[in-house]
Amino acid sequence: MTVSALTRPGERDRLIVKLAEIDWVFVLVMTLIAGAGGLMLFSIAGSSWMPWAAPHLIRYGLCLGLMLILALVDIRVWFALAYPLYGIGVLLLLAVDVVGQTRLGAQRWLGVGAFSFQPSEVMKIGIVLALARLYHGASAQRARLSWWLLIPAGMIAVPVLLVAKEPDLGTAMLIALTGAVMVVLAGLSWRIIAAGVIGVLAVAPPFFFFVMHDYQRDRIMTFLHPENDPSGSGYHILQSMIALGSGGLLGKGYGLGSQSQLNFLPEKQTDFIFATLAEEFGFVGCVSLLILYGAAIFMALRASYLSHSHFGRLAAAGVTATFALYVMINGAMVMGLAPVVGVPMPMLSYGGTVMLTVMVGFGLVQSVRVHRYAEVTSGKGTFV
Amino acid sequence: MTQPSIFFEEVNERQGAFHRRAILLGAFAGLGLGALGGRLAYLQLFETQRYEKLATSNQFNFKLLPAPRGVITDRNGAVLAANRPNFRLMVARDKGVDPEGTLKTLAEYVPLDDIRQRRLLREINAAPKRAPVQIIEDMSWEQFSAINVRAPELPGVTADMGEVRVYPYGGAFAHVIGYVAKVNKEDVEKAGPNPDPIMLHPSFRMGKQGVERAFDLDLRGKSGAQKVEVDANGRQVREDREGDIAATPGKVIELTLDVDVQLRAEEVFGSESGAAVVMDCRTGDILCMYSGPSFDANKFVRGLTGAEYRALATYERKPLFNKALTATYPPGSTFKPIVALAALENGYDPATVHVCGKSWPWGGRVWHCDEAHGALDLKGAIAKSCDIYFYQCALSVGPDRIAETARKFGLGEIFDIGIPGQKAGLVPDRAYKKRQFPKDPVWHPGETPSMGIGQGYTHLNPLQLCVQASRIANGQKALHPRLVRSIGGVEQKSGAAWGDLPVDKGHLQFVRDSMAAVTTTGTAAKFGDLGLGTVRMAGKTGTAQAYTYAGGHGVHGNQGEWKLRDHAWFIAFAPIDEPRYAMSVLVEHGGFGAQAAAPKAREIMRTVLLKDAEIMARVQKPTPMPDLPPETRSDDDLPDAPDPAPTPPPAIGRPT
Repeated sequence: MTVSALTRPGERDRLIVKLAEIDWVFVLVMTLIAGAGGLMLFSIAGSSWMPWAAPHLIRYGLCLGLMLILALVDIRVWFALAYPLYGIGVLLLLAVDVVGQTRLGAQRWLGVGAFSFQPSEVMKIGIVLALARLYHGASAQRARLSWWLLIPAGMIAVPVLLVAKEPDLGTAMLIALTGAVMVVLAGLSWRIIAAGVIGVLAVAPPFFFFVMHDYQRDRIMTFLHPENDPSGSGYHILQSMIALGSGGLLGKGYGLGSQSQLNFLPEKQTDFIFATLAEEFGFVGCVSLLILYGAAIFMALRASYLSHSHFGRLAAAGVTATFALYVMINGAMVMGLAPVVGVPMPMLSYGGTVMLTVMVGFGLVQSVRVHRYAEVTSGKGTFV
Repeated sequence: MTQPSIFFEEVNERQGAFHRRAILLGAFAGLGLGALGGRLAYLQLFETQRYEKLATSNQFNFKLLPAPRGVITDRNGAVLAANRPNFRLMVARDKGVDPEGTLKTLAEYVPLDDIRQRRLLREINAAPKRAPVQIIEDMSWEQFSAINVRAPELPGVTADMGEVRVYPYGGAFAHVIGYVAKVNKEDVEKAGPNPDPIMLHPSFRMGKQGVERAFDLDLRGKSGAQKVEVDANGRQVREDREGDIAATPGKVIELTLDVDVQLRAEEVFGSESGAAVVMDCRTGDILCMYSGPSFDANKFVRGLTGAEYRALATYERKPLFNKALTATYPPGSTFKPIVALAALENGYDPATVHVCGKSWPWGGRVWHCDEAHGALDLKGAIAKSCDIYFYQCALSVGPDRIAETARKFGLGEIFDIGIPGQKAGLVPDRAYKKRQFPKDPVWHPGETPSMGIGQGYTHLNPLQLCVQASRIANGQKALHPRLVRSIGGVEQKSGAAWGDLPVDKGHLQFVRDSMAAVTTTGTAAKFGDLGLGTVRMAGKTGTAQAYTYAGGHGVHGNQGEWKLRDHAWFIAFAPIDEPRYAMSVLVEHGGFGAQAAAPKAREIMRTVLLKDAEIMARVQKPTPMPDLPPETRSDDDLPDAPDPAPTPPPAIGRPT
């Protein structure tokens, strides 16, 4: 079961070989993070498995099983599914626009029987696969600087605009950034990158003042001056920072965080769960968690680095970028470095949708790792 | 290794570029995590003392203050639903609190037997830390103050004053106004992912039925906040009155109902089952909407015991049911005016005569009437409520045209009067049969005569029949009922602010005349005279079969087992010459319309008319005096007579 086994076509299709090639350290890291989430959810529910801790851990178990199954799915199946999945994602987003349910003032849920889900989650995987497939068949020259680049740009713009219209700016931004990271990884010319960065900087102020909804603008203003509104929306950030800061080096101890236990912290089970952890386990706990996240990102990125197919590389890197962005945005928000945007801490926060998306994504990453020597068709013909 | 490809170099170039940039991405991610770590170090290591102080120093917290719930009044301002103070005692689990001992101590002040103490102890231990559990409510002032004095020695105990909903008229308005009760799990789920925090407040009650439910958000108001200083363990240390955010009281809802009329309806129904709806047929205002037997809504506020609830839920006269809106019945002969209008609108000659010989063979079976009415024209057939005439009249018009006319009068329609859970009932036509009976989608000719006398598939609720009577009485407008007159002082849309009824005015006049004949020479001849002089009432009786008589299940009239008897109906309007009020009365399984429903209608209508000052002026018209020519009048001639005292109005029946 060495790497050489993977290089032999007959050998590498055996289930035992595939299973052995799954990155079990990575699985351990994810389990530790999810376990830390369960621990914190148990604590903030007042030492109770309900309503959060037990469902969280059960969901993780199910998602882990799904991830392992997906890891065994041949990379060529992922390849074949790339465009269909993207297409379905776009259709679902259009469907949301027409028949979606409005919750909390935003139309982002689609009901299917008893279930309801956010098609924007499908899109997070869909955009990664579709871009990877597209670039798989593109020459380095095209990917660097050519009119061809309008195709990936359009493929990113369509879902981003649809999601932004819901309106769900957080997810739209996440999809846009993931797409951008992938385009850059595929070898975009530095000149375009520089032009893009300048363009975004130029467009941001008018966007802020004329396009954003009031509540979105409020969030950003509050982030800049939380003390102006200590009992309103600035409250979240202020309380979160107090929770963090008062944790100190070693924390107040498990189950003893006054901020989190006394409901000073809002959304303590979802977006602000990191603050709870910070309060009860202090700097040491936080840094340990960040190291776990860093390790997960590193291992996922390594899987992409090792892949021999361009599709595999880009797909795995795209998923990793999404995950890393989640961590950065949530971390920055909780620490008062970014406005409150409603992005949870993946695997730590309570919430099934994001966990499912992330674990499906990591199933893809593991599949890339397991099938890193597999030959993926040249894919010269785009849009097949 | 991958197979050599013709794009070998290019592939390598792509791979190289990717690898370089993937390393860059990794570096960025590391940088980002490092930045987060740096920020953490800053907050948790260098600034930690500042934040620790913030966390451990007493903090200001906001305690939710429930807003006083909006008052509901009748059209004259009489309060139908209000709030009264309620002294409550609560105990919460906390450090240093011994719930068992505390309960023992409290038992010295308030009645708490051992069984109750044990149950409360379980409840306290099951509740989250610091979440107060209610021990007792409605304490006397003496109990309240005695416990408050000892409060410092009783950690975890709070005695406070809340408000509790009270319905001064008990049962009379229970169905219309509904009631408030404790929030349950489903209510919170229904409120969406971010329920109003007030819903989780232990003393909060939300509207569960009727107006209380339909206008719950208006009545609820906006809860305020009490600024309190709490220590790091969340215990209240001090109140900061200046930081309080005042609660916005709920809006006052003024209904169109009239207390006197409603109470009179409650009185005349007694323990009988049924409903009465009265509308002002000029404006659509509902003056009375009673459903009997009723129940005491106050008991729901406190919370019913299982036995109490079962008693209400299983009683065969269904007190929890709003029979005016949520139950539908065959309209019986009160539907005949609609059949007559449908006929007239479609060119039927009202002079058409049919002879009634008590039975009438048609379509292979014999159809019956109550008695042999002899030769009748349309007006006579309405007055005498002759079934045999209307079997034939309905056959000549057909079900679709009858249904079309019925809908013009609001039958089968749900009116948005602000009460949830209304039943639309059914006005059948050919399309309905086709839709609902795939196995037998044809309207059989034999079904039309039944429809002509308001039986068969036709099912309606008392409000719809009141609207029917109102529209006939109004004679012009497609009047809509209105129950809520104003919300927070904002007048609601009038029931008269709708278009005209697309029915010939002459035909409506004909039907009004026929209904006047009902109460002069017809089936309800005794009830036209209200004892108010020229102010008389017109109407139409109805005796609707509830069960098929075949097989001995149903009973015609008022004999036999209650639940098998016919339903008694009466629809009416008054005064006949210039209609102002219209009504419908249903007595469930009451027997004959003229016996069971019409007398109730008369009593309720009298109360309505006696409360109308203009009608009273007409009834108490002074003795006519000869008009003297103006020049013969001079002040000197007049004797010094005191102003004639106004005659006191006749006493209005009111329960005492």
